[in-house]
Formats: sequence, C-alpha cells, structure tokens
Amino acid sequence: MRRQARGLIFIGIILVVSIVFIAIPTIDIDIFGRSFERGDDDTLLGLTLGLDLQGGTHLVYQASKDTGEAPTIDEMEVVRRTINNRVNQFGLSEPTVQLLGNPPDRVLIQIPGLSGASVSVGFAGNAVTDDELEGFFQSDLGHPEAAIRSDVDDSGAELLIVNLDELRGQRLDSVGNVLEESEADQIRAKLGDRFPATLRVIYSAPSGTSTPELAEPTVGGIGELLDQIGRNDALIAEVGTRSFSISIPNPIDDSVDAEGEVTEGEATRLRKLLNQQFGPPLIFALSGQINAYTVGGGVQEAKQLIGETAQLEFRERTCGPFLDPGDGTDWPPDGLGLDEWLLERCSNPNYFIETVLPLTGANLEDAFAGTQPGIARPVVNIVFDGEGADEFFEVTDRIARTRGLLAIYLDGEELVAPSARQGISGGRAFIQGPDFTSERTRTIAIQLKSGALPVDLTLTQERNVDATLGDDTLRKSVIAGAIGLGLVLAYMIIYYRGPGVVAALALILYASILLAVFKMVPVTLTLSGIAALILTIGTAVDANVLISERTKEELRAGRTLFAAINEGFARAWPSIRDSNVATLITSVVLFWFGDRLGTSVMQGFALTLGIGTLVSMFTAFFASRVISRTLASTPLGGRLKLWVPVGDVGAERAARPEQAPQAGD
Amino acid sequence: MNVVSRRYWFLSLSAVLVIVGAIAVATPPRLNLGIDFTSGTSFDLAFGFDVETEDVRAALNAAGHDDAIIQKAGDGEFFVRTRDLGQTGIDEIKRQVNERIGTDYRIPSVTSVGSSVAANTVRNAIIAVVVAAGFVMLYVMYAFRNIPKSYRYAIAAIVALGHDVFIVLGLFAILGQVIDAEVNAIFVVGVLTVIGYSVHDTIVIFDRIRENVALAPSRPFATSVNISINESIARSISTSLTTAMTILAMLLFGGESLRDFLIVLLSGVIIGTYSSLFLAAQLLVAWDNGDYKRLKFWGGRGSASADRA
Repeated sequence: MRRQARGLIFIGIILVVSIVFIAIPTIDIDIFGRSFERGDDDTLLGLTLGLDLQGGTHLVYQASKDTGEAPTIDEMEVVRRTINNRVNQFGLSEPTVQLLGNPPDRVLIQIPGLSGASVSVGFAGNAVTDDELEGFFQSDLGHPEAAIRSDVDDSGAELLIVNLDELRGQRLDSVGNVLEESEADQIRAKLGDRFPATLRVIYSAPSGTSTPELAEPTVGGIGELLDQIGRNDALIAEVGTRSFSISIPNPIDDSVDAEGEVTEGEATRLRKLLNQQFGPPLIFALSGQINAYTVGGGVQEAKQLIGETAQLEFRERTCGPFLDPGDGTDWPPDGLGLDEWLLERCSNPNYFIETVLPLTGANLEDAFAGTQPGIARPVVNIVFDGEGADEFFEVTDRIARTRGLLAIYLDGEELVAPSARQGISGGRAFIQGPDFTSERTRTIAIQLKSGALPVDLTLTQERNVDATLGDDTLRKSVIAGAIGLGLVLAYMIIYYRGPGVVAALALILYASILLAVFKMVPVTLTLSGIAALILTIGTAVDANVLISERTKEELRAGRTLFAAINEGFARAWPSIRDSNVATLITSVVLFWFGDRLGTSVMQGFALTLGIGTLVSMFTAFFASRVISRTLASTPLGGRLKLWVPVGDVGAERAARPEQAPQAGD
Repeated sequence: MNVVSRRYWFLSLSAVLVIVGAIAVATPPRLNLGIDFTSGTSFDLAFGFDVETEDVRAALNAAGHDDAIIQKAGDGEFFVRTRDLGQTGIDEIKRQVNERIGTDYRIPSVTSVGSSVAANTVRNAIIAVVVAAGFVMLYVMYAFRNIPKSYRYAIAAIVALGHDVFIVLGLFAILGQVIDAEVNAIFVVGVLTVIGYSVHDTIVIFDRIRENVALAPSRPFATSVNISINESIARSISTSLTTAMTILAMLLFGGESLRDFLIVLLSGVIIGTYSSLFLAAQLLVAWDNGDYKRLKFWGGRGSASADRA
C-alpha cells in the first residue's frame, strides 16, 4: 500500500499541476530574470490555435534571385526579419514568419485573425460595449459582416477591434482632388457622432452664502455657454438636482504645440465659462471620447507589402531660390507669379536640385504612425540609429536654414518631402502633412520600415480562413471531441467494469496532461491536430484494453487479483510498447515530410500524434498500474466479478478470491 | 472459431477488394484530386439568401472561368474550384457576382496552390508513404528479431498495410464520384495515419502469436495462430470500437472541414482491424504451410496438412 501511496501522490500532483496550467489563461512568471510567458487570453483555455481554428491568412512565398543563384541563408534571414517587421503591423495577434526548406528557399507567413480590414477603437473610460459597437457597424455603417473582439493596449485601456471584409479607400478624381473621403475616415466621423463624449457636470448644493454674481446653473444657461464655444450640436440633459449630462460628439481636446503653447480644447473652455457663470462645479468629468483609432489593413495590403522590393532613399532637395538671386537671370523663372513660384519652387522637378544623402533605410530604426499634441492630424514618427541621427541632424539643420526639403523616395517614387524648422538632434522626429489621414500615416510608416529585400518573392500558396469560420469549427470540434470522449468512457466502464474505471481515470489524467503540455510547449493546435488527439485517445484506450484483457486471462487462469494485475501489465507492456513505437515512427516521418509538402498542417498533426502517443505510453505504464493496484486494495478488490468484463463467465468462475493482502506489495 | 482453415476465403476477399480498388483508381473517372495536387484556387461562397447553381455558373463564366467546378454545399453556400487565380482573378469574379447575383455574400475561405507546389506535392506524398512503410518494416523486423524467419512478419505486415492503403484509395475513387470526396494533402496525412494504425494493430496480433508459439513450440503453427486470433478478437473489437466512436463523433458533430479526412481514418480503422486478424495472420500461416509454393490459393482447398488447424 505504501508503494501505491507514493504513486498516487505523484499522479495527484501531476493532475493538479496540469489542471492549474490549463485553468489559468495566461501564465507569466520570471525565472532568474528571464520571463516565461505562455497562454493567450482570447483563445479557448489559452491554447495556441492554428489558423484553421482562429481564422487568418497563411501565405507561402518562393524566394528567387534574378541572377539565378539560390538565395543564401543570410539573405533568407534578412528576408525573414524584414517581412516580420512588415507584417507585425497587421493581424490581431502575433504573426509568424518562418523559413521553409533545407537550405531555406521559401517563406511561410501566418497572420492570425487577419480578415479583409480592421478598425481599432478605444473609448475613454470604456464607455462603449462590444455589442453596441458591433451593432453600429452592422446596421449603420453598412458592414453586416462586422465581427468584434476586445483587446487591451499597452497601457491597459480597452481596445475594441472590428473585423470587416473591406474598407473603401479614398476616391480621387483625375486631377487628384478628393471626391470622397476614405471609408476609414468617414467611419471615424460617424463614430464620433454616434458615440459622443459625455460630460458630467455636477454642482454641489448651494451653500447659505452664495455669491450674488453667480447664477443658478440651468440647462438653458449651459446651453448658451455651449453656443459660445461653438458647440450648439451638444445635447444637455438635467439628470438630477444641479446635475447635468452633456453629450458632445467628437470634442476637441487640449493640445500643446512644439513651443509649449497650450491651445485649449472645448472641455477646458467650457469649464472656464462654467466657473465664471455658475462657479466651479463639484464634478466635471469627460468620458467616452475616442482616444484611439487605428485602421488595420487586409490580406491584399499584406500581400502587397510583403511582395514589394522597396528601396528607400533620402535626398536633400534644394529648392529654387526663395529670393531674387540678383544675378540678372529671370526670377521667378518662366514668367511665374510670385505665389505660383512659392508653390512650384519645391515641388516641380524643373526648379529644384536633389542630392542623395548617405542616409538609407538601414539607418531607419523605426517608423510608426501616431499623434502629436498640438497637431490635429495624425503624424508619422521616425527614429534613426546612432550614425543616422548625426546625419539627420546635419541635414535638417541645413534645410532649415536654406528652406530646403528632405525628400524621401521609395522605389524611385517620392513618398513624402517634409521641411524642417530647425536642426533635429537625437534622431527622433515626426513628419506632419496637411493631408495626412490615419490610413496614410500608417501606410507611410509601413513603407518606411519595409526597407529593401535582397530577393524576389513569388506567392505560391495561399489559404485564408475567416475568423468566424475558425471559431465555428473550433466550437464544433470541441463538442465532438467531448462527445467522443464521453462515449469511450461510458463504454469502458460499462463493459470492462473495474479495469474500465481504471481506464477512465487514466484517460482523464491523460487528457489533462496532454492539454497542459500543449499549452506549455506551446504546440499550435490545428484542426488536424484535433483529429490526431482523437486518434491518440483511441491508442490510450487500446493500451488499457490490452491490460484489461490480459488481467482477465490471468484471472481466468486462477490467479489472485493482485497477481493477475501485475501479470497483466507485464504481459501487455511489450505489445503496447511496440505498437506505439510504430505510431511514433509514422509521426516522425510525417513531421519530416510536413515541411516538404508545404503545409504546416502535416507538421501540426505529426507533432500532436507524437506527443499524444508518448503521453499515452506514460499514463498506460505508470498511472494505470497505480490506479489499478489502489482500487484492487480497496474492498472493491474483493468483489472479483467487478474485474471481469461483462458476460465473461469463464473468467468469473475461475478467479480466485484475494488472500490477505501481502505485505510489501 | 476456426479462422485459419477458412483463410482462403479471407485472402480471396482481400484480393478482390484490392483489385476493385485498383480498378476504381486506374479507370477514369479517377481519383478526385484536390488543388494541393492539381494546383488552382478553391474558395467558398456564402450568400445571405438562396441562390441557384446556374446563377453562380453564369457569373463564373462571365468572369472567364467556364472550367470552374461548382458544388452546392447548402442553402446559398457553394464551394468553387478554378485554375490558379491571382488577386485580380478573385476581384473579377466578385465583380461578376456583384452584378449578376447581389452583394450580400461573403467569401469565408480562399486557398490557392501554385502549379510548382502541386507537382512537388504528388512526388513528396508518394515518397512519404514509401518511406514510412519502409521504416515500419525495419522496426517490425527488429521487434521480432528473436523469432526465426522474422522477415516473414515484416513482409506480412507490409502486405497488410499495402492492402489497407489500396482499399482506402479505391474507396475514395468511388466516393469522389458519389459525395465529391477530394484527395488533398490532408488525405496523405490520413493515409500515413492509417499505416501507423494498421501496423499498430498488426503488431499486437503478431505479439500474441509470438507468445503462443513460445509457450508451445511443438504445436502446429497454424493452431497457435488460430488460438492467438481467438484470444485477440475481443481486444481488437474493443479498440476499434472506441477509436471508431471518437472518429464518428467528430464526423457527426464536428464541422465540415475534416469530413474527407475523417472518412479516411474511419475506413482505415475498420479495414486495418480486419487486415490484422484476417489477412496478416493468414499470410503467415500460408507461408509457413508452403501454400505459396504449391499455389493452392486460387484452387480448391489445400492439402490435408493445411486442414490440421
């Protein structure tokens, strides 16, 4: 019994640990200063899900060089890193970029959760619920396919991410004038209207000594103040005594420009007016503004960006002379008026000179879209590395003095050509433009970061799975798996009785360990992986069946229960071992070939099959034996009928009742 | 139950099944190959309302794809397969569908495979199956190395394995016409799994045979085999039943995506169990008996010695 106690405790610990690992969605611990993170808040039990269960895009590109040589390992590594940078902006969780082939000549890109397009909105104070936003997109914005999920940004604020099929871009006429704003911008405006910010203004009860100049706050009175700040579209409601709720669509926030001057936002101005008119309110709280709004690209944009071989070039543009050079030549040239000249001098290639700078894409460490206080439109932030920063300072210093421009070219086409007001040191700057939308800044940032690829890429394989299809599939698979497992457990217990119960318990342990291992490694669970799991349940049961059958035979041969169990194990083990090894061989072959067949489907399946087989061998060899012996040493062991499959009369009769339990068993 | 003496029936049955399978695969219409092998693009169309197949076909024809394969998968749901499209191809199709049918639809999934990949896939699939079979055979020889003439066991296992694969292929050739079952990369995964499972099962039987032979070496081999089979039937049925139960649950309650794959697994489990008991073991007996030399297979019953069992 003592031996069993040790074994039982061991199993118990494993079971508890497994369940703990599974139950906690994300595990994040620091071991010796290195953090260990596993799990995912959004997926079932925190498991890592493959694309067919999560939805997303799977792309395989073939790399080639126009010289005809095969790409080197170093070049492929550059490709991998560059594409990783490019696609990291997309999708809803970590995209993976892997090299395939030996030596590597293909790139596999998996972007989970990437659908046509996506919009991320953050409301201050989490004022809007998922369903509200989803409903709005579905009914009012013309996107019946909208699917929402929530995420948390780095500062802990909630972000609502809406997946859409497509977002219409800007429509321009033949000259380049904007006919229709991009859908993303239109949506932003509509969101601001539909989900206005709410201002709670509460005045404390009037004290006995009230200053005569201060009036009593009323809806009408506040309404007049709102007119004064130019917001007569705001709605005011009195929600209690001296308590008001003001609904303002798209309020303008305070902003600070580069010189440190503050431009007051609407809320601040209103507050000042309130103070003047009615005295300072007890409570003045603004919530529900849209404080984050980003647009995500879709599959097409991802593919476009990946396939591009972008060449980034920085040039210093010296514009036509600002003042009359006084050397007798025509100024402004070509008979241009002064106004026209001021426009043309920097934008018409006839009138400016460019020199290529030693700055390259390699010097650009980062580029990202964002906002700057004091600037109404989104900006593009850029960060240069050490030597890039020095060069950048010199250039910006020069062009500030000569009123030139820093022209940034991507693949020979001008991307953007900003001016600088002064030399910028430190390598960090931002680019602003009068026509910058959130989409445009994002695209520019991505293109700046994309850098140059040393190889040509051709798309050879593509698989897109809609997120809802993935969710649906996952749900159905889990249900089916549970049903299957239930059926098996029922069968085992009903038919095999005693050993069946052992098998059932061992199976539960097996499932727990397996799920915990999948989460910890982590193993990406794909649909075929689930199929492999189901197969391994069959194998795990098989091991127990073998043991049960052997035990039955030993009982039939007239042994005591304990002896029968021991013999049963001993005899069954070689079969279990050999047959499982054969399955393991198959999974190794599958794994090795998975790479060549270009799909990760096979590798996921093989890995799941292999791990499942190994774990089932462990539970069969160890857990089943301990559980068996434990059960046998309880009073149940005396009722031999329970240890024999239903209907096997011969074994029942032949089995000898248990003697007194032997010491040291 | 005297299985061994009826072995000619079982062997004949197996031979017939394999031949039927081979014919089904060889004669057109052959295997319904998916795009992983033929290259092309396949996608689902999910309309918000019921649509006739002809309308979808008209739209695809207008987009220049009269060779497209369209299958109706439910109300307003279609599964379409065309040659390899680029992005412009899909856009053109979407445009035609917008014009002719309506805009209330979604494309939940698109898969494209280039032709170079497809050609490789065929080659690699065959190599994978052969390599797996080869390694398994080596392992069987190693596991049974203490038995005289262990190579017989390995070969019997391989023949049973090949038998299983051919029958599954044949089954799929027929199903390809009946329920449009497709042979894709996942099919190869299924076949490899069936190989693993079949061998797993066969080894368990062989193990029994080895044990019984060791217990009573003077007993006629055929008798030992018969006893082994009878002892193992309960276990084989239990295992197959439980595995089949879980696969069936997935098939019935799981999504559509894995249907073809699960059919491979299910048929593989059934046939694999059958082949371990009624084929592989019989081959061993037949060999031991010298049936091959006398080629009494196709004729009537064997000599008196074969009937000893």
